[in-house]
Amino acid sequence: MKKLISLLLIFTFGLSSCEKDDICDANTPTTPRLVITFYDNADPTVERNVSNLLATGEGMSTGIAFNAVSSIELPLKVNDSITTFNLTYNSTIPTDRNNDVLTVNYSTQNVYVSRACGFKTIFHVNSITRTDDPNADGIWTTRVQLINPNIDSEDETHVQVYF
Amino acid sequence: MKHTFKFISSICLLFSTFLGQAQDVPEISKNKELEPKKPKIETVKPEPKTKPEIQEVKKDSVVKTDRYGLRVGVDLYKLTRGLYDKDYKGIEFVGDWRLTKKYYLAAELGYEDKTTDDDRLNSSATGTYIKGGFDYNFYQNWLDMENLITIGMRGGFSTFSQELHSYRIYNPNPYWGELPVVSTDQKYSGLTAGWIEVGLGLKAQVVKNVFVGFGVQLKLLVMNKEPDNFENLYIPGFNRTYDGSFGVGFNYTVSYFIPIYKKKTMASETIKEAPKKKQ
Repeated sequence: MKKLISLLLIFTFGLSSCEKDDICDANTPTTPRLVITFYDNADPTVERNVSNLLATGEGMSTGIAFNAVSSIELPLKVNDSITTFNLTYNSTIPTDRNNDVLTVNYSTQNVYVSRACGFKTIFHVNSITRTDDPNADGIWTTRVQLINPNIDSEDETHVQVYF
Repeated sequence: MKHTFKFISSICLLFSTFLGQAQDVPEISKNKELEPKKPKIETVKPEPKTKPEIQEVKKDSVVKTDRYGLRVGVDLYKLTRGLYDKDYKGIEFVGDWRLTKKYYLAAELGYEDKTTDDDRLNSSATGTYIKGGFDYNFYQNWLDMENLITIGMRGGFSTFSQELHSYRIYNPNPYWGELPVVSTDQKYSGLTAGWIEVGLGLKAQVVKNVFVGFGVQLKLLVMNKEPDNFENLYIPGFNRTYDGSFGVGFNYTVSYFIPIYKKKTMASETIKEAPKKKQ
């Protein structure tokens, strides 16, 4: 009888250690975004906050807004090798807004994560180009520098922008 | 499908050799049975329990006969599941050999082909497995009954392959819209896994020599060769894998006992005494 009870205890202990793994935990690193950090053009060692920056994907009607941050994350197209974003500075002030176009060229790789999360896509950036938009309102992003072409997490900066 | 048939036919061959052997041996055992009838003390000799018990036998002259032999069977759950679950095909043969009064050498041999449809992954695992170990029967039978309640240990080993049919990419920022399912037919072969398991089992003799059994097992993965850029989601014999290395399983068996030889033991009184000393 003692044996039976101890065995049952082992069983319940064993079962309780089976973790719930059907739902993908939000903290699990999955498909990363492109991380851009902004620096002061006058003093390149100092990060500079953007004000009312609106990043709109090409062909998209809504954009992603950032304000008073020095670092932004942009989602790349998983099914494509080119993603283009319109970066609009001072987007809330019609007279003062400035639009630059950022085009990222990359290759993708699908990496297994887990049963619950499936796969994630990581990117390798081949090139990044910045152009003025058709309105020719001038360029606000003075210098765009690719510092980390391998986008496999959001923990580090991939692109530095000076303005 | 070819592999299934190959496997089943090879298993049948394997067990038919066992059957052949089983038919040979009883002739010898019959002779043995005839001999001991005159001197009861002689048959007791091989037992290490020694002289005092022999004296008791003389008083009672109640002798219990334990049958020894091979029990072979099949897991009905795996066999029938293929009928109603289109994602599953499997078979498991079970066998045990009675070593001593309470210990049985036991083994399971099986084949499984299981398709698992998770939210984000659709994959299948196909392969064979073997498990070997022992069972300890702690059930105290009435005189002529042969039921078992066992606790056992096994070592298991499986060779298998996995195929990833389709998957989804997890994108927490679906700005560009939801992503479609990615179809792929990536096959990962040459996979192996090893585990140990503790099992609790019950076997009841329903008709002479025919046993119906039920067992549950707790498994612990000790060796797992994982594919590149994927994971072993299902291991034949081990079943579904979890984040930890634990697994669970159960079977529902019907088996046939092939008696090969008999051993006579003491009267019921002396048998009752023996386990008391242990506890």
